[in-house]
Amino acid sequence: METSSRELQAAEYLEKHQIKEVVSYLTSALLFFRPEKPKEYLISLLERLRIAKVTGVAFPFFMDNSNIVAMFEMMDSSGRGTISFVQYKEALKTLGLCTEDEDLQDDGHKITLDKFKEEVNKRMKEIWSAF
Amino acid sequence: MDATIAPHRIPPEMPQYGEENHIFELMQNMLEQLLIHQPEDPIPFMIQHLHRDNDNVPRIVILGPPASGKTTIAMWLCKHLNSSLLTLENLILNEFSYTATEARRLYLQRKTVPSALLVQLIQERLAEEDCIKQGWILDGIPETREQALRIQTLGITPRHVIVLSAPDTVLIERNLGKRIDPQTGEGHEEGCHRLGSELEDTGKEIYHTTFDWPPESEIQNRLMVPEDISELETAQKLLEYHRNIVRVIPSYPKILKVISADQPCVDVFYQALTYVQSNHRTNAPFTPRVLLLGPVGSGKSLQAALLAQKYRLVNVCCGQLLKEAVADRTTFGELIQPFFEKEMAVPDSLLMKVLSQRLDQQDCIQKGWVLHGVPRDLDQAHLLNRLGYNPNRVFFLNVPFDSIMERLTLRRIDPVTGERYHLMYKPPPTMEIQARLLQNPKDAEEQVKLKMDLFYRNSADLEQLYGSAITLNGDQDPYTVFEYIESGIINPLPKKIP
Repeated sequence: METSSRELQAAEYLEKHQIKEVVSYLTSALLFFRPEKPKEYLISLLERLRIAKVTGVAFPFFMDNSNIVAMFEMMDSSGRGTISFVQYKEALKTLGLCTEDEDLQDDGHKITLDKFKEEVNKRMKEIWSAF
Repeated sequence: MDATIAPHRIPPEMPQYGEENHIFELMQNMLEQLLIHQPEDPIPFMIQHLHRDNDNVPRIVILGPPASGKTTIAMWLCKHLNSSLLTLENLILNEFSYTATEARRLYLQRKTVPSALLVQLIQERLAEEDCIKQGWILDGIPETREQALRIQTLGITPRHVIVLSAPDTVLIERNLGKRIDPQTGEGHEEGCHRLGSELEDTGKEIYHTTFDWPPESEIQNRLMVPEDISELETAQKLLEYHRNIVRVIPSYPKILKVISADQPCVDVFYQALTYVQSNHRTNAPFTPRVLLLGPVGSGKSLQAALLAQKYRLVNVCCGQLLKEAVADRTTFGELIQPFFEKEMAVPDSLLMKVLSQRLDQQDCIQKGWVLHGVPRDLDQAHLLNRLGYNPNRVFFLNVPFDSIMERLTLRRIDPVTGERYHLMYKPPPTMEIQARLLQNPKDAEEQVKLKMDLFYRNSADLEQLYGSAITLNGDQDPYTVFEYIESGIINPLPKKIP
């Protein structure tokens, strides 16, 4: 079944405005915080996003710095300070920051906490900057 | 396996919250609207959509041949659901729109309005506040496939489509008895006088000489015979209708329901009302947490086993869990054993601990469970709630006393082979086996009566606590009951009529 031009157009629209990421972020926030009034909560989140976009101020990231550090420590069970490339790639996939087919180059060195933090922040900024 | 590749352990509060607040449907609706309108600035659009909060508002289309009672049903539904009614006539009579004036002119000339113009009128009308806030009911539109496609292109999608159907002969007969009361209905009389007799029928009560005769004599006296109800004219209109409806129906595949109009008006109305108040099946992820309640012998264990087998749920039988604990000599088992020995009921706190242990395991959380044997009374039910094990489907299996007696007191077991028989439903094959069959003392009549009384004493409280429970007739063969349970689980819970 070939995809019609309207379908392709819709897919392009979703891509262009990063709708999937926004919806995913909203749903995760709802399920994590479980507010009494979901619609009001969603409205408040969207308002914050809108203001952040207009003023260029910090985006309301779902995972803040301490979460990234915690995640790194979970993966680095032996406390060496580095994680393997495979773990790094899996972690990015779990966070939704890289797609299945994306080919990350393995530069031979293990990934340190700083590099991990930097990469996660960079990708998050990329996603939010599309708004 | 390290933390990144291990399976995600999602705390059960999350899917519970998602189900209760219909998060999936909420997001799905928002995404649909985004894709239909594709605004340049999605975030303000989403904010506006959420403020409007009209996901569950009625959006109904009623189609049907002439004389099927569409207008009557549409008007009754409107009054009941407090929505706006849109018909060809009242769209044209809108005095505040240029498009309407144009449409009126064309209608007078040719007796029809071109589809493009009509659909534009609909779009204007649906953008008004009352339609957005309270929903709308389209009566008799779209008539042709062209209209249906145009409406769809504008992104107007109904949630329920009702098609009335009746045999042609019935309709022709019925149309001959149609009578109009010229004095009821909203204004527009001024406009009407200028526009000809068809439009005079806007919003007027329609009566019938046989089926719907008004009781007051003064209404009877002023009833008028409408034009164009002769047999020939009705037959021509029916031909036209049949030609067109066949191409309109495939446009609304999953939301269409055909209701037979060949029955009393109130029956049609009742069917239509239940349909529009029901939700369609959604794609939302759903882990069933089923609770089966009913007196002893109503078939709970059998249904639970069938459900567990078909849907791979975890079958949690309270009595079974306790017996297993005792047999395995676990710590709980040691505590429970004295109660078993003295044939006393196990205290609620101990029971809940054993249950929690089972229901907190990962397979129960992920796959869902079927619980039966508990709660026996209101206290146990409250304890279950407090621990957070809320079922999302509750079924009461009703079986009359005589059936239960029949089912239980005729149970026998063969001590040699261990095979279970029932003297009526599964009799033993030979006389030799029958001679040596034994009965479980728990199946004696007095024991069964005691247990049933215990259940019925508490059932009223439980029914009140589980307000959205579904009551089923358990007095049928197991597969029929199973199908009812299945449909109760798969379909969304019916909305309570306010």
